Parts: sequence; C-alpha cells; structure tokens
Amino acid sequence: MPRQALIMAIPTLFLSGILVFLLLWNLVISLQNWSLFNPIPKFVGVETYAYLFAQDFFHASLQHTLIFTLGLIAIGDLLGLLLAALLYFIPSNIQRSIYLSIFIYPLAVPPTASALIWLWLFNPQIGIDWVLTSLHLPTIPWLVTPTATYIALIIVEVWAYTGLATLFYLASFLSVNRSIIEAARLDGATGKGLLFRILLPNSMSGFIVATALLFLFSFRIFDIPFIMSGSATSPTLMTLVTYIYYLYAYAESFSAAAALATLVAVIAAAVIIPYALLGLKRWVFRR
Amino acid sequence: MNSRYVIKIIKYALLQLVVAIFIIIWLAPLYAMLIGGFKTNIAAASTPIFTPPSHLSTEAYYFDWFGFGTLIGLEYPMMRQLLITVPVALASVILGSMGAYYFYVEMERRPWVSNLGFSIISLAAFLPAQTLIVPLIKLISSLGIYQTYWGLAFAYFVFYLPMSTLLMSMFLPVMPKYLLESARLDGARDWAIFWHVVFPIVLPGFLSTLIFVYLMVWQDFFVPLIIATKPSLYMLPIAARQYVGGYAILYNRSFAAGVITSAIPLIIFTFLGRYFIRGLAALGGGAKGL
Amino acid sequence: MVAIRMEELTKYFKKGKVIIKAIDHITFKIDDGAAFGILGPSGHGKTTLLRLIAGLEIPTDGYIYFDNELVSAPNRVVIEPERRSVAMVFQNWALYPNMTVYDNIAFPPRMSKMSKHEIDKRVREIAEELELTRVLNHYPKELSGGQQQRTALARALVKNPKVLLLDEPFSNLDAALRDSARALVREIQRARKLTTIIVSHDPADILSIADVAGVIINGKFAQIGSPMDIYSKPATTIVAKLSGDANLITAKVVGENAAIVNLKIPLPISGREIGDEVIIGIRPDEMKLSKELTQEIQGFINVGKVKVKVSSYTLGVFRIVISPVTDESIELAVVSDEPIQPGREAYLYVREDRIKVFTKDGRLIV
Repeated sequence: MPRQALIMAIPTLFLSGILVFLLLWNLVISLQNWSLFNPIPKFVGVETYAYLFAQDFFHASLQHTLIFTLGLIAIGDLLGLLLAALLYFIPSNIQRSIYLSIFIYPLAVPPTASALIWLWLFNPQIGIDWVLTSLHLPTIPWLVTPTATYIALIIVEVWAYTGLATLFYLASFLSVNRSIIEAARLDGATGKGLLFRILLPNSMSGFIVATALLFLFSFRIFDIPFIMSGSATSPTLMTLVTYIYYLYAYAESFSAAAALATLVAVIAAAVIIPYALLGLKRWVFRR
Repeated sequence: MNSRYVIKIIKYALLQLVVAIFIIIWLAPLYAMLIGGFKTNIAAASTPIFTPPSHLSTEAYYFDWFGFGTLIGLEYPMMRQLLITVPVALASVILGSMGAYYFYVEMERRPWVSNLGFSIISLAAFLPAQTLIVPLIKLISSLGIYQTYWGLAFAYFVFYLPMSTLLMSMFLPVMPKYLLESARLDGARDWAIFWHVVFPIVLPGFLSTLIFVYLMVWQDFFVPLIIATKPSLYMLPIAARQYVGGYAILYNRSFAAGVITSAIPLIIFTFLGRYFIRGLAALGGGAKGL
Repeated sequence: MVAIRMEELTKYFKKGKVIIKAIDHITFKIDDGAAFGILGPSGHGKTTLLRLIAGLEIPTDGYIYFDNELVSAPNRVVIEPERRSVAMVFQNWALYPNMTVYDNIAFPPRMSKMSKHEIDKRVREIAEELELTRVLNHYPKELSGGQQQRTALARALVKNPKVLLLDEPFSNLDAALRDSARALVREIQRARKLTTIIVSHDPADILSIADVAGVIINGKFAQIGSPMDIYSKPATTIVAKLSGDANLITAKVVGENAAIVNLKIPLPISGREIGDEVIIGIRPDEMKLSKELTQEIQGFINVGKVKVKVSSYTLGVFRIVISPVTDESIELAVVSDEPIQPGREAYLYVREDRIKVFTKDGRLIV
C-alpha cells in the first residue's frame, strides 16, 4: 500500500509529468516540418532549425530580447539597489513597508491594464511628452523610432520589476546581524560608509536572487510587448516569446514555433535549474 | 553640536525628498488610470492625461461594461473571471501544498525523488508559458476540451500547480520534523498529519501562496489567449485588450477598462499585500526579515 | 510491555564524504517491564538507538525484535513506527502548538478511531493522574515547563503503549523541577510495568529511574550494569566522567600507595602488576575536608594536606576546589557541608572503599 503522501501528491506529480511530456513533445515537433503548408508532419531533423535561424524575425527578436533583458537587469539591479538603500535608512518601519509596497504594486496590476495605460502615456501629445513639454524639455519620439521604442519598453519593465530587486536587496540588508551594524556605528560608520562597507559586501545573496529573477521575468515578458505592438504585428517589439506566438498564430509554422520554443526552454532551463538546485533547494532542504 | 544636528535634519529631509520623487514616479501611471477613467469623452479628447478631470463622469465605465457594437462589454468576462480564478487558484494551492508535503517527507527516504521533483516544478514555475504552446494546444484539442472552461482550467493547472508547489515548498520547512515524527508515532497517517498538524502551522505560508497565485492567475493573459478565443469565452484580460487606444477608443475608455481589470487585484494588494510580498519573496528563497 | 532484543544493530550516517558510525554492532536485550537507561556523551549514538527502536531510523545492519517479532531489519523497517505501539517523549516535547492540552492528549486515540466517549474518558483519566485537569483547555505556549512535560507524557501514555521512549526528557526543565519529574516518571513506570528506555547525559536521571543502564561511547556499550554499579565501579575513566562528577588524577605507584605529590592514597589492590603510574578516580562526594587532624572518621582515610583554592555553593552543597600543598597546578573538587576560606589549609579524607584505580590508559583495575 503506497504511502498516503504519495497519493496526495498525485496531482502535482501528474502535472509535472505532463510538463515534461509537453517539453519532449515540443522537441519532437521541432524536428518535423509541420506547418500550414505541411499539415501531415514528417521528420526532417534540424532542417526546421536551419529555417528558423535564417529568418530575419529570428535575429530581430533575438536582438530585442537581448536588449530588453540586459537593459532590465542592468537598470533594475542598480535602481533596485539604490531604492533598497534609500528605504533601508528610513527610520519608520511602517513608512518603509508602505513605500516598498508602492514599488511592488505594479506586479499586482494585470499587464493588460499596464499596457493600456503605458500606450497612452507614450502618446506624443497628451502623455509623458506633454509633461516634458510643460517643463520645457525636449520630447521623446516614443514608439516611433526603434531606439525610442526599446527605451519605452525598458521603462515599462523597469517600472514593473524594479520593485522585485528592491525587495530582495532590502531583505539582504535587513538580514545583516544587528550587532554588526551597531558595532559599525560605534566605530563611526554612517550612511555612505555603512552602505558601502557593511551592507553591500553582505548583499551577495540579494544580488544573485535579484539578477536571476530579473532575468527570468524579463525573458518571459509577453503580454506587454504583445499588446503594445498591436498583437505582435509590429516587428520592433518582437521578442523571442512573442515570435513564438507569431509563428504559431500568424505564420502557422508549428514546427518552427516548436523549434524556437525548445531553444527558449533550453536557455531558460540553463538559468532555472542551477538557481533552483543551488539557491532555493539549499534553503529548503538543509538538514 | 547644533550644526551636526542641522546636518542630520537636512540629510533626513533629502532622503525623504528623493524617495518621494521615486514614489511619485511609480504612482503616476496608477494616478493617470484612476482619474482618466472618470473623464468625460470630451475631456478625454482634448485634455492631457495627467490633468485632473473638471467633471467626474462614468460614461467610460458604462461604455466598457456593456460594450458597443462589435466591442464586447466587460460584464460577462468579469463574471467569468471571478468564477474561474477563485476555484482554480484555491485548488492549485491546496493540491500544491500536498505535493510540497510529499517532497518534504520523501526527502529522507528517497532524496532523488525530491530533487527531481523540485527541479521540475521550478522549471514549470519559471519557464515562459509560450514554450509549450504547440504541444499544449494539440493535447487540449485531442482531449476535446479546447475552447471550453475545462480546457482553460487544465491549462491554468499545468502552469500554476507547479508554481504553487514550489512556493509551498519554500514555506513548509518552518514545520519542525519532530512534530511530524511525533504524529506518526501517535498513529496518524499522512492525510491526518497534513490537515491536523502541518496545515495549521503553515497557514501563513499558505495564505501568502494563495494570494500570490491568485493574482498571477487573475492577470494571466496568455492562457486565455490561446485557449478561450471565442468571444463567448472571453476572460477579462482578453476582453480588456479590445479597449487599447486607437481610433474609436479614447483614453478614458482605455483607462476605465484598466481600472475594471485591476480593481480587484489592487484591492487585494492593498489589504493583503503583506501576503503577496511574502509569496513573491518565496520565489527568491524566502527573503526573511521582511 | 514487551522485551526488546537487538542483534548486531548498526547505523551509519553519511555526511558528505564522512561516514559516522552512530551505532556499531550492538547486541543486547531489554527485559519486559524493565527501565533501561542510556548514558553517554552527545553525538555518540544515544538518540539514534532510541530512534532505531521507535522505527524512525532504518538500521544499516542488524535486527530488532519486539518479543521475538521482527520489527527492523537491515535497510528496512518491517513494522512501521505507527504500528509498533511505541510512545516517545521528545527532548522538546513536540506538543502540537495549535491544539489545546486536551486535543494534544486526545490526538493518538482519535487517530485510532475510538468512540468519542471512550476518548474523553481516557484523556480525563490520564490528565487527572498527571495533574493536568485544570489546564486541559490551555494551549502549550501558555503552560509552564513542568506542565508541558507532563502533557507530553500524558500524550505518550494515553495510548497504552508497549514501550515508552524518553529522549532527554528533563533537560528543558528547571533544576528544581527535575526531582519531582523524575519521581513521577519512575512511579508511572513501576506502576504500569512499562518497558521504558530513557536516554540522558545527566547521570541523575539514570540513577533515579533505571534498573539497568548502559553507557554508549562511539556507538558501542562501554559498560552495562545497574546504575549504582556504573557509578561506583566505572569500567573506564570516560565512563567515570559520564556517570557523575569525578576527579581523575595521574599518580605514581610508590610501594602500596599511589602518590599525588604529597598525597598518599592507599591502593586497595595488592600483589598485582599495575605498573608505575596509575590514574586515581575519586568523586567529590567520596571525600571530606577537615581543618584539623582529627581522629579517624569512620570509613575515611587521611591522605594528606591540601590548600583551598575556591569555595562555591550549588544545589545545597558546598563545592570546594583544593590543591595538594606542594603543587598548586593539580586540582580536586570536594563536597563539603561547610565552606572553607580560600587559602586555608586542610586535611583531605577519602572513602577507603570508593578509591578507583585505573591503568594509565583509563581502564579500571578490579
């Protein structure tokens, strides 16, 4: 008679199994040539991959994903660190948690709503540009030139995800033993000194978590570029994951979609698995 | 002595000022959305976004709620959203807790099972959902539940049950092992141990996971996008997308749609944000101290 | 009420690349209804042995029998812990924090699907026996240490177990409460004739409760016997230290005496080859101090002059640290019923029949 716990875990195990099954199936499909033109798929090996790599959209989406991901990681990490440092020095606990909540609330806002709002904010007449004009500053051609478009999306991502980095940096600051802080204060360290000599060196864990999560969230960001590019019809905002959808829904090249999907899954897994086994598991299952 | 005190005050004021600037920037979109939704059509056609309305009007909400012509109103999608997200999230987190319990107790006997399981659920939680689009649709179609609520629920479970399990795995270790052993010696089997001993102790973690998963399910755009494409099945995020700004859509209507979509999550976040943040922190390994 | 038998019981733990031998081929039998005490330093296997008997650990090798029924075998647990009718009181009592005292005690019978009426009767009976009736509706965190401990005991006894396992049950109690707690456990054990195993690093626990005791060092029994035997005739210097306070000093053999600088201790053994150096073991309560060279104190023998270094007080007795007058680096602890000023000189009297002589490498010379 198997243990009751095993039976209780059946839904989790079953769905985990389905996930693995889907990933493998994905791999199989990617080795075929299934598309609107080939409704009955045949095995073609890496031909589909070759086809995929030859597409302009592939290179564009790869480039965009790189830009957005690196942009979010760089800015998110720095800004998150800055905000965490600012929050750390706020004396009132209540004020600090309220402020932290304000940096995090974008994650609770459905991306659909965010996309709706930001699209309008990037409107050249009445949005942010209006504010800039009122301040006698030059306007920025949001969503018009490619560069400005990239910046626009990065701004939205930073608004949405910096709170995440702030959270983890702040947590690692707060986890530094109080007696160490007090000893440092007695030694004359204040503000900047405290930050650079004590807090930062001890925030390695915060850095790792913040960077890993920023990478993963940036990688999977779909809704906002999708909606802001008019349902994936504008190439400027095409990322790897929106391109997958494009291949599936518009080009109906299912094998190509699967091939790209496999690629994305592999890249994601390369970060997730070490992160899970080293970062998360070590905390969970320490004996 | 006095000048040092003055410097301290200045530093404190500076700190508050800088933080306040960031706070204002962060709240700006929310502010725009809230005031924008209450503007009249005329105001929306002629005033910039950030200026407050001179008259409050609910015509945008009325428009969005009931729809117009080919634009589907948000009334039914909202009801569908409420009806589906609650059971799905609740079931995910309860079943996920049981899965986490299993991994926790199995860690002693057969660690490889727990390690493997843990890796898979981590993968499932962080993998972009788009990577599974082709086989998932194929599977759901062949099960005959494409374009049905069951198909929707199934897809939600594929992505959110593992995430729930992962989060609960992070919260379970507060459970001291000796309590489990004591319960075993008292003759309790796993089901009884889970509900009588484990669950009451990990309740805060359960709530954190529940709130976090619920908000994630609510805002999920992709799953309904690929499974519930018929207008009669539109979920809220998909229906709201229709109100993206364009020729016929003024920003008061876009923002009203935004408010309708975000109202419930934001209310939950305001009152239960503590739990949401703890759930979020769990993804990073706990972030204790907050 | 079972007899427990172990054959070649072995348990290894692997921590990284290191293998820790927690239990090393122990063969032993505990009689039905006996109270067995396990003494030993931390980390040497006491708790592991208990857990193996409970079924919470799987033997690496060896067999465990309850009344000739196999319960554990190499690499498998034949009978699951929940079916062995074993009750265990953990070191930190393991009370369910979200349940009242009543629910804690009622938990085991509820799991075995007894009628509500029967459960209530049992719980109240045992609550009364352990004086917990007044706190039945309280939560564990509202109770005192003593009450928590009795709750843990009540929960263990309510299911009428065949074996009672106690893992350092008194270490979380204030010293003043320990005596009454020990008396309670002893009374319960005797009344029910319950096969009991108590694990402790405090010899007082073993002395007050156990009929037979074993000292585990490095996973093996270094000595098995009645607690008094282990106390007065420890097999090694390590056992001597584990079973109570002990002064262990190296001494030179000079004729029929052992000499610790100016102290002459008569060796109770004669005509034996014991080498030129021995270790003398004597406990603080087996010696006395006298300010003058009085006539004989019955049973005690004067061994020489000492000087008082420190005088302190603990748990009702005076504890005095002395040194031989000719060497201040050697220290002995003596128990006395009156304090003596540091710096004063006195005469050391030793109980003749309690002088323990060990070889240079720590084995008792009988």
